[in-house]
Amino acid sequence: MSVVPLRQINDFHKDPKFGRLLLVSLVVHGLIWAAFAGDWFGYSTRPKPPVYYVDLIHKPVLNPQAGRPDPRPSKKPQAAPVKKSVATPVAPKAVTKPEVKPLTKPEVKPLAKPVKTAKSKPVPKPDQRQEKQVQSAIDEIRQRQTREAERDALKDKLAKLRESVGAAATIPADVPVGMPDGTGDEVGVSALAFVQAFIQQNWALSPYLLDQSRLANIEAKAKLVYAADGRLKSFRIENPSGNPQFDDSLKKAIIKSQQLPQPLPKDLELVVIFNLKEMAATRR
Amino acid sequence: MLLRWLVAVLLCLALPHTVLAATEIEISSPGEQSIPLGLTKFLPDQGVRSDRIADEFDEVLVADLDLSGLFRFVDPQSFLDDADRIGLFSTQVNFPQWRLLGAETLIKGTYHLDGDNLVVEGRLFDVVNRRLLTGRRYVGQSKDVRRMAHAFADLILKELTGEEGPFSSRIAYISNQTGDKELWLMDVDGKRPLRLTNHRSIVLNPDFSPRGKEILFTSYRANNPDLYRKEIYTGKEAKLSYKPGLNVAGRMSPDEREVALTLSKDGNPEIYLISTSGRIRKRITENWGIDSDPSWSPDGEKITFVSNRQGNPHLFIADIFTGKTVRLTTRGKYNATPAWGPKGDRIAFTRQEGGRFDIYTIKTDGTDERRLTFGPGNSEHPRWSPDGRFIIYSWDKDGNRAIYVMRADGTGSRRLTSLESDSRHPAWSPRW
Repeated sequence: MSVVPLRQINDFHKDPKFGRLLLVSLVVHGLIWAAFAGDWFGYSTRPKPPVYYVDLIHKPVLNPQAGRPDPRPSKKPQAAPVKKSVATPVAPKAVTKPEVKPLTKPEVKPLAKPVKTAKSKPVPKPDQRQEKQVQSAIDEIRQRQTREAERDALKDKLAKLRESVGAAATIPADVPVGMPDGTGDEVGVSALAFVQAFIQQNWALSPYLLDQSRLANIEAKAKLVYAADGRLKSFRIENPSGNPQFDDSLKKAIIKSQQLPQPLPKDLELVVIFNLKEMAATRR
Repeated sequence: MLLRWLVAVLLCLALPHTVLAATEIEISSPGEQSIPLGLTKFLPDQGVRSDRIADEFDEVLVADLDLSGLFRFVDPQSFLDDADRIGLFSTQVNFPQWRLLGAETLIKGTYHLDGDNLVVEGRLFDVVNRRLLTGRRYVGQSKDVRRMAHAFADLILKELTGEEGPFSSRIAYISNQTGDKELWLMDVDGKRPLRLTNHRSIVLNPDFSPRGKEILFTSYRANNPDLYRKEIYTGKEAKLSYKPGLNVAGRMSPDEREVALTLSKDGNPEIYLISTSGRIRKRITENWGIDSDPSWSPDGEKITFVSNRQGNPHLFIADIFTGKTVRLTTRGKYNATPAWGPKGDRIAFTRQEGGRFDIYTIKTDGTDERRLTFGPGNSEHPRWSPDGRFIIYSWDKDGNRAIYVMRADGTGSRRLTSLESDSRHPAWSPRW
């Protein structure tokens, strides 16, 4: 074991290589800093789209009462007949009858029995009825007015509520919600789930093409590379199943999926495992 | 030196980004469990236009392919102009148009009718890969159009699945159309029925020889259930076994050297092997119980049969060479009419439950029992198609018993024979 003298250690900065080593160290540190701080790959400069938090429990909706078994609509038709009964049958009868009878009958008939007819029939009874009917009509009108006032108050409240949540209520249609790994700039789901669903949708295979007893065991693996614009750059069946019908159906599915209907956040390299586990389970 | 350092550092920094880690996803079921097929009507090729030919060919082809369960037909109403264009070569087909309609496969074809002579050409295209998959020219007479369509359907199945379809084969069955139970023959779609016997007695239990040249059946013509053999093409008929008592359920071995049947010459019905001349070669069962309905395994080494030796009628499997017998079914109180599948892995049979017979299949090791029919009435006499894709059987749900066919998983059931007469005991021929 060799011992380095202390003086030699202290004088290491006098070493002619020291400057070079220091330079290298600085460069390396600078590069590391630049790698992490700088936007080399265009991730950090890309504006992050807004992510909205949606309260799914108290979700504001445009029409909160839609689909609700609201008793009010059923009351409306009940209220309408009452209105009609107040307006048409009761009031006109109460007003017109006493006016017509006293005026016409005394004029047309001779003066022999004017007093009897006037006293016995029209005069005393129409007054009581009229009073009651007018009173009931007034009560109805008052009730209606109070109901309308209550309704107006409710409408005002609803309008205020709508105003308060109005902005939020219009947002959900545009909000990217869905998959936990969604980044907020995709329509609803994550890119992976979207590609998976798209390929699956394009995969057509009849179970009658294959040996039914081997459905659960058949599997193939394919490697797909998608460009960020959604174009399939390349694909390769890495582990074919050995069943020509199955492998052929995969190729067709991949060819049909060579252009995704929307771009991806970035280039995507996928290993897709195709099997029939779900189909085999459902056919048992 | 410095340069090396820099390169190394840069490589270290860039490596995680340049080498993209491939993400793994699993797709465990296809989005569509059928092949979208565009099936165009065949067009006349410079000959006489005959809608009957085109319609009949189309009808047969659609029925066969539909029964296969492989396809989803693209709605002909949505077809574009390429459907009206003759296209026997891939260069003549507008594939993008068919892709637009969602088709993955396409059938096009022509016919040429000259007098009574008919030439039909059919093509199957792969729309996705824009290539011709298969095609065939059929030459015959106008009356052969159905056979041509069946043959083309078989070809399509062979191209897509690797195994030829059974649509060109025939079905033998027993029907009382003439008043007596006679042996009949028909196409697999129930068309072109042809009476084969005129015994004016009771004929039952027909079965084809493995090469399809002969039919074995039992007839009471001589007032005893005797076993007959009949050559289909020549119509020649001979008694094969006419021992006292039962001579029933004759089944020819896969090598056509022996016939397994039930004989009751000694009083108790037992399974025997007889030669093709009728001489007894071997007794398979020797038991106090009733042993009947033998059915050969495809390798010709085993026979499944029904026996009540352990109480209720159940299925058993006997080894021809060792004589070792094992019980196959354990459930149900009445299991009967076993038919060993052509693939050798499953056996179809009937079971009575709730006073009604239904069709089941079971693996040859007694596992994976599946019930195939559930409807009202009795479903009996199951028999496999030569490719094992379909099962033919008789069903009396509508009063009279009729012959039905379904896929081997119990789906796609359809009636083949008329309900005006009683039809039963179907047997599917080998490929014709």
